[in-house]
Amino acid sequence: MSSPENVRLWTKSNAEYTDAAAERAWAQEEFTWGVWEIPESDLGVLGDVGGLDVVELGCGTAFSCAWFARRGARVVGVDPTPAQLDTARRMQRETGLEFPLVEAFGEDVPLPDEAFDLAYSGHGASNWADPYRWIPEAARLLRPGGRLLFIHGTPLATICYPDAGPITTELQRPYFGMHRFVWPESEGAVEFQLGYGDWIAVLRESGFEVERLVELQASPESRTHEFYSDMTAEWGRQWPSEQIWVARKRG
Amino acid sequence: MSSPEYPEYVARNVAIWTENNAKYTDRKAAEAWARELDWGVFGIPEAELRALGDVTGLDVVELGCGTAYVSAQLARLGARPVGVDPTPAQLETARRMMAETGIEFPLVEAVAESVPLPDASFDLALSEYGASIWADPYRWIPEAARLLRPGGRLVFLRNSTIVILHQSLEGATEQLQRPQRGLCRIEWPDTGEVEFHLPAAVLIDVLRESGFELERVIDLYAPDDADSHEFYDFVTADWARKWPAEEIWVARKR
Repeated sequence: MSSPENVRLWTKSNAEYTDAAAERAWAQEEFTWGVWEIPESDLGVLGDVGGLDVVELGCGTAFSCAWFARRGARVVGVDPTPAQLDTARRMQRETGLEFPLVEAFGEDVPLPDEAFDLAYSGHGASNWADPYRWIPEAARLLRPGGRLLFIHGTPLATICYPDAGPITTELQRPYFGMHRFVWPESEGAVEFQLGYGDWIAVLRESGFEVERLVELQASPESRTHEFYSDMTAEWGRQWPSEQIWVARKRG
Repeated sequence: MSSPEYPEYVARNVAIWTENNAKYTDRKAAEAWARELDWGVFGIPEAELRALGDVTGLDVVELGCGTAYVSAQLARLGARPVGVDPTPAQLETARRMMAETGIEFPLVEAVAESVPLPDASFDLALSEYGASIWADPYRWIPEAARLLRPGGRLVFLRNSTIVILHQSLEGATEQLQRPQRGLCRIEWPDTGEVEFHLPAAVLIDVLRESGFELERVIDLYAPDDADSHEFYDFVTADWARKWPAEEIWVARKR
């Protein structure tokens, strides 16, 4: 059940930002995490990806795929937004870095069972797909012992955002019952968030063991992002703006 | 009396709990000992949450047992509990309740950072607002791992990170009151209590490094008909209907 509103939002965001940002994003030497661009070398989350079969769920313009490919992974990018996949194909031609791109939603991926060692989502399926559908789908795609890594906003950030505009230091909405969010400014696009207990439960029930949770905070040097500006550096220096889950498929 | 090897914050916390026992937990002990097992200030029944499951025949160590009502509730369900607490006044109340009810189990005066009990001798290590908030997590969680048999479970109740971040001296607010950056040891300026609270991500690291696999986190809510607690007034029922004030962690020793 791919959401046309989500595709429309990311078609627009691609025209406004991600297409123009693709060249820089594809050229990044170091893998960085989240809006504060925290270097992977500070966090040590990914490990060696050389030789791994990697699927990225919600790859957008596929800049993370490009990084995995340059590090020797066999990567497949999955995204439902044709405009972003067009940008990814343009970047493939410009860089000569080729890998398969599949137009699909993270909840229903036309790829075989147990074909990957690493499933990754960077504000892709992790924000825009229903966790009760995409997490089991990631489990299906992974080999036993394979890892799921995803970054998304924290539940604390979700409950501190007003309906529109920058994040606040006040509770704006309840934590209980969090699941689907349609923000007024997103023109019907649907985002997803769960509480900690529910995230852990959906991971466990889908066959994952939770290995690590990394909460990201801005550093004193961090600046509010030019495009993702509703999360401010001032807030992000005090509270975690985003978090990375590291889970391993049992077996 | 605190033994010399106790961490420095223990004397302060023991003084507070001696006072709280005189004000509240001693006179509430009979009711608490008679109650069915439930969780948190809003009393969510264990039957609904099933955080512990069947405890029949399990060797249980309760870390920070206070007046030992949870151990008593578990003993009535067929568990073999041992209560551990550093506050002599609360252990005296527990002994009085044992004499009154005839429910007997060992009580050990000790801090959860260093428990004088043998390795791998328990199936369940439990802390209900005991070690889970009053002991140093970098010490008591490895100690719980040491006490448990392989496959044994650690279950503890603590405050949520969200309520800690929103807590003022008047109670839970809807405004962030302190940064999460560096959150671990909290000294409350009004009472001088020393509490420990790690954010979820750090707590998961401590659990994994201590040999546990995380099985479950239960965000506790106040039921629709719940009233605010008469003594533990850090949060109102209204607040806790929208945001979790408390959470139960369930982990298994690998």
